[in-house]
Amino acid sequence: MQDIKYGRVVHRREDFRLTQGRGLYAGDIALDGMTHAVFVRSPHAHARVLSVDASALPAAAVALLPEDVAGLGRYGCQLKDQDVLANPARFVGDVVAAVSAPTPAAARAAAASLNVSYAELPAVFDPLAAVADGAPLVHAESGSSAGDAVSIGVRPLAGTNVCHRFRLVHGDAERGFEDADVTVEETFRTAGAQHAPMEPHATLASWTDGGRLELTTGTQTPFNLRDDLAGVFGLEPDRIRVVAPLMGGSFGAKTFTRLEAVVACLARKAGRPVKAVLERSEEFVTLGRHPAVVRVKLGAAKDGTLVAKRVDCWADTGAYADCGPGVTTKMGYAGIGPYRIPHVRVDALAVYTNLPPNGAFRGYGATQSVWASERAMDMLAERLDISPLELRLRNLLRDGDRFATGETMRDVHFDECLRAAADAVGYEQDPRGKGLCVLLKGMQTPSRAAIAVERTPVGYTIRSASCEMGQGVRDSLRLQGAALLGCEPGQIEVPDPDTDSSPFDTRTTSSRSTYMMGRALGEAVADLSANGGERGYGEIANEGGLDPDTGQGVASTHWHQGAAAAAVSVDEETGELTVERLHAAVYAGRVVDRAGAELQNEGSMIMGLGTALFESVEHAEGQITNANLSDYCLPALGDLPGALTHELIEREGAEPHGLGETALPPVPAAIGNALGSLGVHVTDLPMTPERVAEAAA
Amino acid sequence: MMLDLTLNARPTALECEPDEMIIHVLRRAGLSSVRETCGIGVCGACTVLLDGEPVSGCLLLAGQAVGRELTTVEGLPAEHPLPMAFDAEHAFQCGWCTPGMVLTAKRLLEENPDPSDEEIAAGLGGNLCRCGCYVRIRAAVRRAAA
Repeated sequence: MQDIKYGRVVHRREDFRLTQGRGLYAGDIALDGMTHAVFVRSPHAHARVLSVDASALPAAAVALLPEDVAGLGRYGCQLKDQDVLANPARFVGDVVAAVSAPTPAAARAAAASLNVSYAELPAVFDPLAAVADGAPLVHAESGSSAGDAVSIGVRPLAGTNVCHRFRLVHGDAERGFEDADVTVEETFRTAGAQHAPMEPHATLASWTDGGRLELTTGTQTPFNLRDDLAGVFGLEPDRIRVVAPLMGGSFGAKTFTRLEAVVACLARKAGRPVKAVLERSEEFVTLGRHPAVVRVKLGAAKDGTLVAKRVDCWADTGAYADCGPGVTTKMGYAGIGPYRIPHVRVDALAVYTNLPPNGAFRGYGATQSVWASERAMDMLAERLDISPLELRLRNLLRDGDRFATGETMRDVHFDECLRAAADAVGYEQDPRGKGLCVLLKGMQTPSRAAIAVERTPVGYTIRSASCEMGQGVRDSLRLQGAALLGCEPGQIEVPDPDTDSSPFDTRTTSSRSTYMMGRALGEAVADLSANGGERGYGEIANEGGLDPDTGQGVASTHWHQGAAAAAVSVDEETGELTVERLHAAVYAGRVVDRAGAELQNEGSMIMGLGTALFESVEHAEGQITNANLSDYCLPALGDLPGALTHELIEREGAEPHGLGETALPPVPAAIGNALGSLGVHVTDLPMTPERVAEAAA
Repeated sequence: MMLDLTLNARPTALECEPDEMIIHVLRRAGLSSVRETCGIGVCGACTVLLDGEPVSGCLLLAGQAVGRELTTVEGLPAEHPLPMAFDAEHAFQCGWCTPGMVLTAKRLLEENPDPSDEEIAAGLGGNLCRCGCYVRIRAAVRRAAA
């Protein structure tokens, strides 16, 4: 593949369609006879459902009631801990019943006609309170392991709210701290966040006469969803078809089973297609980013050589585990940072609370622990009186080093990323008001990606389950396909993922598709060439995984590597923090789609800016108090720093490298460290004016 | 009730409820570029032009459009410079917010044919893009202005 020229700037096949407003998303799709769903949600954070009175239900409506779901299986991607209708309800907004009616307005009226009686139960809203003795249990018993959707061993602690514990032991941390000349220790917090894709969740479900379930739904995980639903309905997976059209953004929100189980049940009961499109307020109770408490203890020799690190995480996964165990595992090992440290101990807990569930979110656990870990590095540098840049460079992992998981690191570029970020803000000339952050982030390991290529009259069709959410995976495949097949990108069609016709893929997450699916495509084209040029099939697997009790093994076969630098000014009286300059450097290997890659960097940085400065899901007694886009602010054009720049670090002959998320996690710590360089030490995200003013006082 | 208006330059009559917001009426009429997103008029994704002024479709009662001229992105000519500029600058990822951006920018450029970066930021301040394509969106508006 050495001679293949990627990195062209091309126009997407669908570009003009999108700028003309002709993109079709799941919610735009309609079927004859379709009705509309509305969910009935618990107003209580924890309550047993005593009865649902449907006697006033309008004649044209259908209600899905607790008795309708009694015989169905539970679902959940890592722990099967979720029922189609909740009883007890475990958070404000948990779905306890649902209705469908011919119009959305009629469905809202029908939902209001149901009368649900509850008996309230004690609730808990904080991950530290939830692990204390005597805390109310969110789940009376641990959910069972979810089988093949699990990429990690899940370790629930029976009789507690801990749904997963990840530990990593490398060397002897306690002895290491004894040997350290200097030790710093601090507790950091990060707020919950909303993915807030512009397109809300939307699902359309119907059943064929033969008893097959067909779903059109905005999802990054069509095969995981299909398998999870097969368990709910007791069907063979091939009795379920999932079609995944273009999404209007996702960022992790549209993963695993969200509305689909309830909508599918409603469609079965109604005997006709049912569509659900969430309102914005419902997005806030559907999935978010884990708020976390991360405690870091870091020890070094006088010369700045790191000797020991301890990372403890409490991740609030809300009322259901979702992929919280996986997020927490990654939070744990990403918190070690891209450093050589002889003694490391990590203890990371995914904790149930009576809040809406949290799951995959661009950055996947790294955002939380990188904030803590990289702020602690600057605190240590200050104690040692060493430049934060120098301290990092002295300890960075190099090619051939072993990470704390025991795996040997290859294709390592942390040094280049960090130096590039530092240079962009003139860090060495004058570090005042400037901050740095460098990170490593793993890719889904183990996983499998398969793809099929077939010749058509216009060129080729490439079928895969890589889902398009705006990240540009279709262009990435088209460009790689054109280079491999010797045709123009415009001659290649990439249909929507469809579990009936697309080969298996683990999922479109963890910035893996360009790299994994791209390699599978190479195999498929080789197969096509060897077999008459009509059709080819390719499959790639990466093997590995970590032992959840020791953290040893292979965390990732492909490391996302990046750094960020910020320059800030602050009004210490008002706490107003101004980001004047923000730069990110991301290892790209070889860029496939230049415009797409640049947009991923910029988008990650801007999302990181929101995380750093103002995004926070607020709640009172379990009720989200800012569940709208007026009180929960997203970055707007006017929020951009004076200068927002970035670079894609490429190497001749390198493989394409995933980069969909890398530039997000380093942004908050780069800004926090810039603020720290001015003597203002903030430990909690977001860095609101109140927090900054308090830290400056 | 029947809503008589000029929709994308054509005299049109649409069925609607008296308490209905125009976004739902337009979507029923097949104009799927008008996208319900925040529901409270802060994100700009359902922007339409009412007598040339950008308004949020989720806040405009259908009846308020009676006798007026309403434009969605479907009503712009295919070679309109703004969609062309968004295309040329790659000023979007998922495409969801693009129609609202294009329509708001259209009015911005009518009022101010050569806006500064600050004026573009202020003019598009009510249009959110969660994919974070703002650097390119700004470039697209500049390109269309040139």
